[in-house]
Amino acid sequence: MLRSTYQPSHNAPPPLPPGWTEHKAPTGHTYYYNTTTQESTYKRPGADIPLPAAPTPPASGPQDPRASYRQYAGVGSLANPAAANAFLAQYNPQAQRQQQHQQPHGARGHGDRPRPQPHDKPRSKVAIPGCEPWVLVYTKYGRRFAYNPEKRASYWRIPEKIMQGVIELDIRGAKEKAEGKIAAQGDEAQDGELAGPGDNSTKEIVTERPESAHEDEAAQEELGSDYEEVEVTDDEASGAEGAEDDGDGEHPSKRQRTEEPNEDDREMPVEFNEDDIAFQLQAMGADYGLEPGEYDDGNPEAWPEGAEGEPLSNEDARELFKDLLTDMGINPFSPWDKLVEDGKLVDDPRYTVLPNMKARREVWEEWSRAQIQVVKERRAREEKKDPRIPYMAFLEAKANPRLYWPEFKRKYRKEPPMRDSALADRDREKAYREHVARLKLPLDTLKKDVAALLRAVPGRELNAKTLLEDLPAQVLTDVRYTSLDAATRDPLIAAYIATLPPPPDQAEAEEDEAARRARDERRKREKAMQERERIVAEEKRRQQRQLEHGRAALREEERELEKAMHVGKKGIHSQLLAEREKGLLDEGAAKGDGDIAMD
Amino acid sequence: MPAIRGHAARGAKKPPAGFDDIRDDLEVFSIKMKDAQNTPTANIPKHQAQWPIFQIAHQRSRYVYELYYEKEAISKQLYEWLLKNGYADAMLIAKWKKQGYEKLCCLRCVQTKETNFNSTCVCRVPKAQLKDDSQDVQCVSCGCRGCASSD
Repeated sequence: MLRSTYQPSHNAPPPLPPGWTEHKAPTGHTYYYNTTTQESTYKRPGADIPLPAAPTPPASGPQDPRASYRQYAGVGSLANPAAANAFLAQYNPQAQRQQQHQQPHGARGHGDRPRPQPHDKPRSKVAIPGCEPWVLVYTKYGRRFAYNPEKRASYWRIPEKIMQGVIELDIRGAKEKAEGKIAAQGDEAQDGELAGPGDNSTKEIVTERPESAHEDEAAQEELGSDYEEVEVTDDEASGAEGAEDDGDGEHPSKRQRTEEPNEDDREMPVEFNEDDIAFQLQAMGADYGLEPGEYDDGNPEAWPEGAEGEPLSNEDARELFKDLLTDMGINPFSPWDKLVEDGKLVDDPRYTVLPNMKARREVWEEWSRAQIQVVKERRAREEKKDPRIPYMAFLEAKANPRLYWPEFKRKYRKEPPMRDSALADRDREKAYREHVARLKLPLDTLKKDVAALLRAVPGRELNAKTLLEDLPAQVLTDVRYTSLDAATRDPLIAAYIATLPPPPDQAEAEEDEAARRARDERRKREKAMQERERIVAEEKRRQQRQLEHGRAALREEERELEKAMHVGKKGIHSQLLAEREKGLLDEGAAKGDGDIAMD
Repeated sequence: MPAIRGHAARGAKKPPAGFDDIRDDLEVFSIKMKDAQNTPTANIPKHQAQWPIFQIAHQRSRYVYELYYEKEAISKQLYEWLLKNGYADAMLIAKWKKQGYEKLCCLRCVQTKETNFNSTCVCRVPKAQLKDDSQDVQCVSCGCRGCASSD
């Protein structure tokens, strides 16, 4: 609303001299305090310089209406009801006196002291011709509204159905004035202020250009722009009914007529059309330091770019909702229904930046996808930790010889180390049983076991540089380590570490490692080669043997074949004979050579 | 006679990595399912007795489906483990991958052979094609209010 941001910019006071500070008294007065001189005053310290933008009001009543309008222009515009009322009250001493008892309202004129806010009230009413129950009520400060006594409804914006009647009424009134009342200008000027700008402008037209042809248009246009949709509040409406004592209730902040005419328009009133009104509205809004969207001039299309306050783009809204999701610590893996059922988000104002559930769900999906990726990346970056380490630490903290494993498991089933699926339940049970069994052992045994454990750790992992906080996993996951009370264990380990040699040189160790690996590789290779050679040799031998065997078989066969070739055509007899001969021959050979000579 | 093995050893292998992230939510689903199963059905119509069961099964399957296919939050191993261990209905998910069945509520609603006129369930009819759109239809088999892809 206009009122809340009311700051007459051209009336802006000069900055305070150094040392002075501005304060607000509980009564609403502004006072100024000098910290150095400890002096306080209601008068603004820098005010000795005359304000150029705030002309002193004329001492006597205005002579002609234009002069009166110039005064208004000097004040700024009276679109703000508070400002308008305060200003008018300044020219209306009786009214001011009447209203003196009222609480000052924070709204000030351009004087130094805050002025009590005067109260607007109905002054006169005119029946609207043609629309019978309706009357047009003029207030003390020249505003007017339509009032229906039957329905007890009143509207600042003249309803459409009685608009024609009101326009006729205005035109008639303007004509009357044009005919008969030019002489009484001085008095009317005062009235004119009270009768509202709609009437003012028509009067102006009358005084300057008495032709009534333009009057109608001008009047219509003026009227068309001064209807507002605000309904009259109760106290004013009851005032319209005739209850004069509409006491000291708070004057509600109303949107007022906003087409306050200024000097330029007075010069050429004929051209005053919708565009001019819109332009003036913008100019006035600029005077008040308002964004065009903050007052309603009826045509939002004509507002300059980005006029509707601080625009919240769709992208911003989505980002806001994502921020909300992040801030609430929502699990990105959870289903949407769970989010809705939990209802944690609803209380946050950022919940409402998105118009509907569908949009929210869309944004949630996007967010959760991104979030899951982030979680995955983080997991990948984290080094793989032995899942037994947290579990053993947990055992050390919570295990109790009085609890059996099922009891322990049930009691702590919600704890993360007990739920980690990387560790099998069987292993957990085993570790627990061992741990609990060792808790009953005598302290000396435990100490000895820890010493043995430490001695078993290679020097690369446990050495003089090892901190007590990051012992190797081999130590941390051992039951011998966890089963000894930390108070006795830690000094023991610290003492042991102190006796250890410094770590083997990192490069050397690395070299050693590499060499060992190479050696292993080589041994493995050689072994593989020997094996292969052995296999090959065996194969070779086998082949050789086969070859020999084959040859022998071949020879045998050949011999047999050869023998078979000797068989003659005389059948078996000859063969037998040959045998015998051969036998004889053998005998003969044994006897000597004589037989052969005898043949 | 072979030794009778416990539930843990019967082939329910340890879940693949990533199960810890979704275990709580799956637990919530299983609790809901148990509640739904244990709710007395004496005072509700007979055909409505299984609606909550279908709904929770659908939600859970949808959850697993979205985690694997849309958000790519779980690994293939875990997804298959979940299917194998009954955390999601593989047959229903198979339907969701087909065009026109992206939002299918349950398999019973596309079983045309179970209906009198060999038609699908009323919840498969797009909202735009329903003649009486003022009426709020819930299908008989699972209480679905409409699962056409164009809704």
